Amino acid sequence: MAFHNKLPGFWAEFWGSRRDGIEFPHLMQITFWGVRGSYPVPGAATVRYGGQTSCVETRTASGDTLIVDAGTGMRALGNKLLRQAPEPQHHHVLLSHVHWDHIQGLPFFSPAYVPGTQISVYALQTAADELHQVIGGITRHEFFPMPLESVPASFDFHQVEPGVELDIDGFHIIPIALNHPFGSVGYRIEGDGSSWAYVADTAPFTEVLHKQHFLSGLEPLTDDDRLALGAMRDALVRRLVGVDTVVYDTHFLPDEYAQFPHYGHSTPDQALDICCEAGARRLVLYHHAPSHGDDQMDRIAAEYLARGARRNIEVLTSFEGMTLPIGPEAA
Amino acid sequence: MKIRFWGVRGSFAMSGRDFLRYGGNTTSVELVTAAGDRLLIDLGTGATELAKQLMTGEFAKGHGTVPILLTHTHLDHIQGLPFFTPFFIRGNQIRILGAAPSSLSLEATLQDQLSPHYSPLNGLENLAAGVTIETIIPGRTLALPGFEVATAAIPHGSMWTTAYRITADGRTVAFLSDVEYPSVDEPLPAALALARGADLLIHDAMYADADYERSKGWGHSPARAGVVVAERAAACKLALFHHNPDATDDMIDDIVARTAARTEIPVFAAAEGHYLDV
Repeated sequence: MAFHNKLPGFWAEFWGSRRDGIEFPHLMQITFWGVRGSYPVPGAATVRYGGQTSCVETRTASGDTLIVDAGTGMRALGNKLLRQAPEPQHHHVLLSHVHWDHIQGLPFFSPAYVPGTQISVYALQTAADELHQVIGGITRHEFFPMPLESVPASFDFHQVEPGVELDIDGFHIIPIALNHPFGSVGYRIEGDGSSWAYVADTAPFTEVLHKQHFLSGLEPLTDDDRLALGAMRDALVRRLVGVDTVVYDTHFLPDEYAQFPHYGHSTPDQALDICCEAGARRLVLYHHAPSHGDDQMDRIAAEYLARGARRNIEVLTSFEGMTLPIGPEAA
Repeated sequence: MKIRFWGVRGSFAMSGRDFLRYGGNTTSVELVTAAGDRLLIDLGTGATELAKQLMTGEFAKGHGTVPILLTHTHLDHIQGLPFFTPFFIRGNQIRILGAAPSSLSLEATLQDQLSPHYSPLNGLENLAAGVTIETIIPGRTLALPGFEVATAAIPHGSMWTTAYRITADGRTVAFLSDVEYPSVDEPLPAALALARGADLLIHDAMYADADYERSKGWGHSPARAGVVVAERAAACKLALFHHNPDATDDMIDDIVARTAARTEIPVFAAAEGHYLDV
């Protein structure tokens, strides 16, 4: 069962998982539809790991489905959902934040053009602007030919707050504050007696406390900033205790992070530290830098699988079309 | 004058093995004169690749200068802007020229794209390069270093696109992407005027002819619309552009074959990385 999870690209396409996904009976599962950070990257260098941006689908054994983030991977996911069930559905979309790479698939989500479809969007409200204005703003007249208010589907918007738990169908969800420009939230998602967590986008909790202003480089930390970072890290580790699988923003390799510590992303090593501390069974590298081509991703995957093994944690590298079963039985 | 296509895909950037020959990046085109003057059209995802090329030269040192013409501000034509690395180098001088997309100005629209909700850049003022946003009035001509540019507003669904006729080194390129005429058989006079006698006409070909009927009104053309314009305007060569995100390489081959069979004018599909002498 675990074999194909470790082979990106060709096999995923060969088995059709990139198009239609795979289903594991009795288990919650996650499928990656977009694994890239910042912007979509077409071309020969991303054929195997994929070039579309952040979007993960999770389903319970009974078929309840959640979508986490609405990056460009959401277009292919929408097409698959529509093939599986052409009649109107109620879709639930959890957003980590609304940077373009996490939101720009939404207007291309084909179920939104089926009358009767309901789309519930859950997101952090980071400013006075209402969620429907911020999210609807991506389809304003100047940016997109059809505004969200005019598409056939009905949208409803729900504010999430770190630590305030919510239930959606068969899922129990705990939002977790993350360290990213203008605010971001991760999620612990429980279902079918197991759990996984989505931790993107986030910087580590050491050099920068991201607030709501532009950073051209590092700024000195105040004592309060250090306390806030420590508290954020502690809360994250606490929320990850006992989680089976953690999907983590590992955009940068260490030397890249050293150049851009203020960009709001982590390295696989920083993710490993957090996951080992929390005792997670498995870490999945995610939100790959646009510049990391397939061959480099192969090297990253091999290197961190080995580093993880030394710390008794399975480290996988996500690719478009990858489906992972979640839970003790999956081990 | 040389032209290079960095992004030829419409609406949505497509990755994967079905899109390798024509390319999956959204609109970005580079024109260079014999004297080395440069002009860019649009900032789709192809511009992120173009940026890497520019950063091997004077743009890395902060000595780069370039004007960028925007056709319009739909996302697929500006989504590369926040990742166009020459913006991050102090000293570069970059002019962005385009029509006001609506009652909202061009500058306000690009500011919204970089609003802190959507981008950590948090506004145009944080781009380190010298960036000017210049509103053009479609219908007027522009004199850019090395290039003469005629402009026209052409309908694009619910908004307008600016089409360009660019002349340099005695050659002319007409760029009519994201256009839809009230009737495919009756292209607007403004479009014909821009394409008149052009050495190369680059035209919106979002839909295979057979698929156009059910896609009318979204602001794009079927492949044969370019043929009608090229023939009426006596253009020398036609490049199909703004390929449908669902059109695989093989499907584009098929569209080119069917379109070429309609006309004596040489037809090809614009492909990423394609570098040609006009």
